[in-house]
Amino acid sequence: MNQEILGELENTRCPEIIKILSIGKRTGRLCLTNGAETANIYFQEGQINHAQCGAFHGEKAIHESAIWGSGEYRFYVDDTPDMLTVNHSVDEILAESAKQIRQMERITSLIPSNSMVYELEPEFKDREITIKSIQWKVLVHIDGKRSIADIGQIIGLGVSDAMKVFYTIIRLGLIKEASETRAEKTDVSIELPDTPFVSSIKDALTRAMGPIAPFIIIETAHDMDLDLLNDNMDSRASLIETLSSRIPGESLSLNFLDTMTDWLNTGMDNQ
Amino acid sequence: MKGTIKELLKAPGVQGYVIIRPKGIQIKLPAKYRVTDAKKRLRNFYDGLMDRDDLPGNILELYTDNMVIVSCISRNTMLMVFSSRTTNMAILRMTGKLVLANIIKEKDK
Repeated sequence: MNQEILGELENTRCPEIIKILSIGKRTGRLCLTNGAETANIYFQEGQINHAQCGAFHGEKAIHESAIWGSGEYRFYVDDTPDMLTVNHSVDEILAESAKQIRQMERITSLIPSNSMVYELEPEFKDREITIKSIQWKVLVHIDGKRSIADIGQIIGLGVSDAMKVFYTIIRLGLIKEASETRAEKTDVSIELPDTPFVSSIKDALTRAMGPIAPFIIIETAHDMDLDLLNDNMDSRASLIETLSSRIPGESLSLNFLDTMTDWLNTGMDNQ
Repeated sequence: MKGTIKELLKAPGVQGYVIIRPKGIQIKLPAKYRVTDAKKRLRNFYDGLMDRDDLPGNILELYTDNMVIVSCISRNTMLMVFSSRTTNMAILRMTGKLVLANIIKEKDK
């Protein structure tokens, strides 16, 4: 795979990179990473034809990643998508992204980050207010422990949408910053067991996803309620399959599958 | 793993496969399946799936009393793998995906 352009999002934000790739009529995949989040935007001769960011596809995925102010970007020449999800022109998409960024700047002046934790305002002034259903869905999850990101994930909202809802309900006076302002961190250790299987899977996933691989392995095993020391073939195959679905980009995912199915077929015998 | 049909057929439980493209069907199944009449039905099955633009995924699993059929779809090609029900489904899906990717790569050459 030909990787041509790379850099930091602190210096060049996503909309600027999109503009450059569009003017250059480039074909390939722009991969953006921001912590644990990854977005992929595919270009065909300068036009965007597919984008994916977490659970989001299409233009929504572009707007989600457009607001990232930190992280990295890489452009992989000639990488093509499996599906087409974007229909609007780059100019239309960038105009909408610019609107979203302005909106987000207003929001971040009140909510510095999506790791903020809020609790219900006990001193709420007695007055009649009307709230939308999405605001109610968020409200019922606010418990002084969960962060904005946690609640967004629970109800299936992207970061920007979750922050917009929080912004509105803070302005309504329904919630306030929790006295314990930091979200409870999940107790996830990055110590992976030292076994041939875990080492192989870590190496293969690191090639596909970079240094975040150990976190992804632990998180996936935790989500699947799976013990990494378990040498059961079914569990291992399920873990490999699930991990492969988390790799952005079809060719990277196939390379990982290729390596690990080989390992399942041969490595198991060598243990 | 090279992702070849040979490797697919070596996978535990796999009995045969069908590859369907817009202009052809390739069937490799044991004689007991009587596939002569099945061509039209397989074609209809393929057409029905390809006509939809809202497929939620690219792998379809069909379970019958004594076997399982895993259909992997990529672009306009579908690979159906026929296997016994005792097979490891995760390995079957992964192998199917790799073999189909290889078929498409070969076709693009």
